[in-house]
Amino acid sequence: MKANSNLKRVLDSGKFAVTAELGPPASTDSKIINKKAKILKGSIDAFNVTDGQTAVVRMASWATCLIAKQQGLEPIVQMTTRDRNRIALQMDILGVAALGIKNILCLTGDHTSFGNHPKAKGVWDVDSIQLIRIVKKMRDENKFASGDEMDVSPSLYIGASANPFAEPFEFRVPRLAKKVAEGADFIQTQCIFNIQKFTEWMKIVCEKGLHTKVKILAGITPIKSIGAAKYMKNKVPGMDVPDSLIDRLESVPKENVSKEGIKIAVETIQKLQQVEGVAGIHLMAIEWEEIVPEIIKSAGLYPRP
Amino acid sequence: MMGQEKKPIEEVLDSLDGKKKIAVIGCGGCSTVFHTGGIEEVNEMAEILTKQGKKVTPIGLPFAVFACYKPFSSMFVEKFKKDLKECDAVLMMSCGDGLQTIREILDEELGVEKPIYPATNALGVSGGGPAKFIEKCQACGDCVVGKTAGICPLTECPKGLLNGPCGGTRQDGKCEVDPEKDCAWNLIYNRLKNIGELDKINNFVESHDWSKVTRPRVFEREPLDIHKHLGRTKEVIESLGI
Ligand code: SF4
Ligand code: SF4
Repeated sequence: MKANSNLKRVLDSGKFAVTAELGPPASTDSKIINKKAKILKGSIDAFNVTDGQTAVVRMASWATCLIAKQQGLEPIVQMTTRDRNRIALQMDILGVAALGIKNILCLTGDHTSFGNHPKAKGVWDVDSIQLIRIVKKMRDENKFASGDEMDVSPSLYIGASANPFAEPFEFRVPRLAKKVAEGADFIQTQCIFNIQKFTEWMKIVCEKGLHTKVKILAGITPIKSIGAAKYMKNKVPGMDVPDSLIDRLESVPKENVSKEGIKIAVETIQKLQQVEGVAGIHLMAIEWEEIVPEIIKSAGLYPRP
Repeated sequence: MMGQEKKPIEEVLDSLDGKKKIAVIGCGGCSTVFHTGGIEEVNEMAEILTKQGKKVTPIGLPFAVFACYKPFSSMFVEKFKKDLKECDAVLMMSCGDGLQTIREILDEELGVEKPIYPATNALGVSGGGPAKFIEKCQACGDCVVGKTAGICPLTECPKGLLNGPCGGTRQDGKCEVDPEKDCAWNLIYNRLKNIGELDKINNFVESHDWSKVTRPRVFEREPLDIHKHLGRTKEVIESLGI
């Protein structure tokens, strides 16, 4: 495989990897990107930039990646199939690789109806698994989806997502297997609050031997407030937030809720480190990037290799 | 069938502003089933327009006479050639397909080129009834439902995903986009299981061939012998005692 990213290096060396999300601004404010990048620097192996998450217009993932990359961090460009057909996707893949981005996360994307332009037409010319195959074919066979050849192909480490909590549960491992078969090198999962269910899923993943074929980074979201926890439980489809977690947050004095949230995140990381097949974590501290270094240090994952 | 709804009457009246003599044409097919352009609706529309001071010729097509099938609809429409010639505008109470088929009959067969306005919004191929209809097929030209337990993922899933569900399927198996609707892939998974074809979900499905929907699509077919077929329909109806 031609990919040679820092993330790949860390994962291949068997070290527990750490990635984190850097939310792009809904403006041209590059200062905020630099600020977030400086905070994350040193605490992570690579950062993700979301691509129109919840179908809200924000700065393009690739552009935000390039700005933050100047601070010396390694980007993972996220690419959804919601807004681009196979022609535009391949053009962007060529572009991001030529600009020195070495990791890509292939996603389906949230539905347009959730965002701030609900009248927009969703594209979905291809799905995330078909996108994985396209990137792999470009990288490993020097070929476009059409079969046409190219001389210099993109060296990208290919990522995909997995949600162990969405229904139908029994379909979630076969779906992961499909992503792996089509070329996913690493996986970043949905935020894990229900550790028991995640462990159950990982057990099946390991029984199928998938953990030896793909590096799985477990998704972690520190919870800042009880409102945020309830919102994720009730409003974000595909999320599994157990009542026990909300009870725990409600049991501490109001001013300590975010501290408790951080504590839960650290405990979760430590528990997940013990789960067979988990190769690292992916921190999604939504609009709370400044908390990442503290969590990484408390979890004993600092300094980074 | 073509799912459809009535346009708001204000929009219809707006489009007919300044036109005095109106021919209102219905459809005996889907528009009758959907109550958008059956004989009753054509007559109701005629009444409304008459109250607005317009002179109306209602041309309802009887049940099973599709506006979109020229051999049927032209037989009826041509009987009104005189009124159509004299009218200022045609109001069409069918889907856009029926409307344009009638437009062609008027222009090409009857030689009367008139403004023609829709009273209906077409909403897509849908089946079911008598009361509830669900869009099930978008006529993609390359049917894949043999791989998906007879359930169309392009239409049933708002994202048209071909290789399994997105990450948003709710805990109760409902769709991330609509909590009232089952996730297409939950339905597909369960039905594949029930029919003993679960292994199919492991197969990679290639990116869809959308070249088959390059529009407009034109088809050439052997013309139907209508009288022979109507006779057969009658026979079958009688033999089934319907
Ligand atoms: S795949 Fe779906 S849209 Fe295409 S023909 Fe079959 S049912 Fe219709
Ligand atoms: S929840 Fe199911 S039906 Fe809804 S968009 Fe996702 S995959 Fe499609």
